[in-house]
Amino acid sequence: MASKKLRVVHYLNQFFGGWGGEEQAHRGPQIVDGPTGPGKAIQSLLAANGEIVATAICGDDYVGEKMNEAAAEIVQLIRRYEPDVVIAGPAFEAGRYGVACGAICKKIQETLNIPAVTGMYGENPGVNLFHKDVYIVQTGDSVRTMNEAITRMVNLALKLVAGHKIGKPAEDGYFPRGILVNEQSERSGAARAVAMLLDKLKGQPFEPEVLQPTHYPVSPAPRIKDLSTATIALVTDGGLVPAGNPDGIESRNATRFGGYGFKGSDSLTAADYDVNHSGYATVFACQNPNRLIPVDAMRELERDKTIGKLHERFYSTTGVATRLEMARQMGQAIAAELKSEGVSGAILTST
Amino acid sequence: MHITRVRFADVTAVERSVLSINRQELEAQLKQDTRLADVAIELANPGDKCRIVNVADIIEPRARTANSGPDFPGAVGRQGTAGHGSTCVLRGAAVLINDYNTGGRRYQRPDEGIIDMWGPGAEVGPYGKTCNVVVLASPAKGTDIDEYCVALKIAGLKTAVYLAKAGAELTPDDVEIYDIPPIRHTAGELPDLPRVAYIFQVFSNQRVPLPGDPVLYGLHIDKIVPTILHPNEVFDGAVTDPYRGYAATYLIQNHPMINELYRNHGKTLYFAGVIISNAPDNAPEYERTANVAANLAKWVLGADGAVLTKIGGGAPELTMAQTALRCEELGVRTTLALAHQGIDASETTLKASTVFSNIAQVDAMVSMGATTASPMLTLPAAEKIIGALEDSQTGAEIRRPASDIKGSFSQLGDSDLMAVRY
Repeated sequence: MASKKLRVVHYLNQFFGGWGGEEQAHRGPQIVDGPTGPGKAIQSLLAANGEIVATAICGDDYVGEKMNEAAAEIVQLIRRYEPDVVIAGPAFEAGRYGVACGAICKKIQETLNIPAVTGMYGENPGVNLFHKDVYIVQTGDSVRTMNEAITRMVNLALKLVAGHKIGKPAEDGYFPRGILVNEQSERSGAARAVAMLLDKLKGQPFEPEVLQPTHYPVSPAPRIKDLSTATIALVTDGGLVPAGNPDGIESRNATRFGGYGFKGSDSLTAADYDVNHSGYATVFACQNPNRLIPVDAMRELERDKTIGKLHERFYSTTGVATRLEMARQMGQAIAAELKSEGVSGAILTST
Repeated sequence: MHITRVRFADVTAVERSVLSINRQELEAQLKQDTRLADVAIELANPGDKCRIVNVADIIEPRARTANSGPDFPGAVGRQGTAGHGSTCVLRGAAVLINDYNTGGRRYQRPDEGIIDMWGPGAEVGPYGKTCNVVVLASPAKGTDIDEYCVALKIAGLKTAVYLAKAGAELTPDDVEIYDIPPIRHTAGELPDLPRVAYIFQVFSNQRVPLPGDPVLYGLHIDKIVPTILHPNEVFDGAVTDPYRGYAATYLIQNHPMINELYRNHGKTLYFAGVIISNAPDNAPEYERTANVAANLAKWVLGADGAVLTKIGGGAPELTMAQTALRCEELGVRTTLALAHQGIDASETTLKASTVFSNIAQVDAMVSMGATTASPMLTLPAAEKIIGALEDSQTGAEIRRPASDIKGSFSQLGDSDLMAVRY
C-alpha cells in the first residue's frame, strides 16, 4: 500500500458538509477539493496511505426525492477525481442520510467498479436497504461514536482497495451481508462441540457459532363471532397440487403458491392431485389428499351447519427449506386473496 | 490392519496392506440370498479415474475375533451383544452397496450418492480415499423393492465381515483400546471431571422407514423411546445407518463424536454413555423423545452435560432443540453440533439464521456447514463408472454441488466445515 497513495472521495450531507440544517436539505450536489468536516479526521487516519482528494456534498431531501437520478448525478461529480475508493458518512441514526449513503455507495460500485464503504447505526433504514450491496460499518447512534466509526470505515476501505480478505462481520465491525460461506475450521465439529460444552460447564464464556433467529411476532386474528355463518378456507404448506403441478410449485424452498378450486366436490380424489414436497413422507397424502386438505370433513361440518360454508378453493405451497421472508410474502398474498374472496377464517394444515 | 490397495485374486487374503479378494467365492456367498439377482463385485482404488454412483451405504470391513461375539448381531449374526472382545478392522478399505436398479423407488434423483476416486471429487469427503469394494445387485424376480433393499444392505454387511475375517488371525498393524468400565465401578472415581453424555439421533421419520431395516441389533428404530448404549456397542456393529440415511454405517462404526468424547475421557470429562433416539415427525412425539432422553441423561447416567447431534433436516432439529431444552431444565448443560439443511441459507435479511429454534437456554451451537452453501464442482469425465444404468450420462463431465458427493457433509461431528455469514 505504501507504493501508491490512494485517491479517496468522501461523501457528506448538507449538515456534515457545513451548509446548514433542514433548510439546506433540498440543495443539489456539489463537490469541493480536499477534506471537509469529518473528512479531516478521516484524512488523519489515512495518513500516508491515502488522500481525500475531494468531498461531495448534497442535501438529504434532494437525494431522497429522486434517489436513482441523484445518486447518478453525484457519481458523475465524483468520477472526475478518479478515486480508488469512496467513503460515505458515517450517517449514524440519520435515516435519510443513511439511505443516501447506501444508494451512492451502491451506484459507485456499479458504475465506477471501485469499492465504497459507509457507516450507520443498526436502526438506520439504510442498513436494511443496502447491507446486501455495500459494506456498512456498525456505528453508534450519534456523532459521539465518530472516532470508532471512521476508524472502522478507513480500515475496511483500505482492505477492500488492497484486495485483502475481509474478516467476519464481528471482526471487521460491519453488518453481515447475508452471504453464507462454508469455511474450513482447524478442528472438527465434534472437537468444537465438546470444547464448547466444557467451557459452558466451567461457567466460562463461549462463542456460539450459530445465531438464533429473531422471529417476527404474529398477532392472532380476533375470533370468528358466529361460525355458522362464516366462510372457511383450507390452506396448506404440505405441497398438494393438481396432477401435473400446473403452477410449477417447487418441491423445496418454494417461491410460489396456488389456489385450486374443487367446486361442489364432496371430497378430493387422489387421481386428481399430486404431492410435491421433499420434506416428509408423502405416501398417505398421495393416497388420500383429504388427509392434507380435509374437504370431506369440512363438507360434513357444512351440512350440519357448524360452519356457514366451505370456501371452494384451497391454497397450497411447499413448506420445506422455505426462506422465512418468502413465506411471509406468500402468506400475505394468500391472506389478501382470501379476504377479497370474502373468507372469514382459514384452517392451516401443516406437515 | 492397514489397507492401501484392493485387488481380485485367487484367494481372499490380507498381505502387506493389500486386500486380495476371491471374486467368485464372495459373489457365490452373496448369491445365496434369493432376493438378489445380478450380484457382482467391483473394485475401485484411490487414484483410479472411476466414478461410483447410487451408493446407498458404506461399511467398514470388520469382523470380531473368535469368542468375541456375533458380527452385526441381529442383522448378519445371531443375537448377541456388541462392544466387547476384539474386532479386526480393515482400515482404509470400505464396502459400498449400490442400488442402481430399483426402478426409481427410494430415490429423489437417479445417480445420487456420488463417489469419485480421483480429481476434485475425491478431495470432498472420506470415501474417495478408501479402497472400495462395491456390491451390486438388482431385485430378484418377484422380490418386493423393500425386501431387496434390506437384502442388499445385509449383503454389504456380510461382505464387510467376509473381508475382515481375512485379517482376523493376523498380527495387527495397530491396536486401539476402547474401555470404559460399568458405572458402578466408576462411582466416586474421577470426581472432579464433569460427566458428559452423548445424545445420538439415528433415524428421522421424515423418511418412510424401510420395513425390516436392521438398524439396532436387527430392529428398526422408527418407533422407539430413547435408550442407552455403551459407546463400544455403537462402534462394534450394534447400530447401522438406516437405509439411504443421512450418515453411513462406516461413519457410525467410526463415530466421530463418540471418538472425541473417548479422547477426552479421563482427562477433561467422564464419558457417561450414549443415548440413542430417533427424530419423530410430530410435536407430541418430539416431546416424548425430549423428556425421556433428558431424563436418562440426568437421572440414569448422572450427566452434568450432554452433546447432541441431529440426523436429517427440520423435524430432527426441533427434536434436538427440545431435548436440549429439557436437559437444561434438569440442569444438564448442552451443546449442539449441526450441519444446516436448507432453511434460510440464501436468506439475506439481517435477521436471517440457519437454525429453526430460538430457545434462550439452547445457546451453545456449533456449525458443521450448510449444504445449501456448497460450491459447485466440475467433475471430469470418468474412464470407468460403477453402479449406473447403461443409459446414464453421469460418467461424462458433470457439474454438481459438492453436497452431492457422498460424505461431503456430516452430521456426526467429523466435518471441519463451519458455515459463516459474511
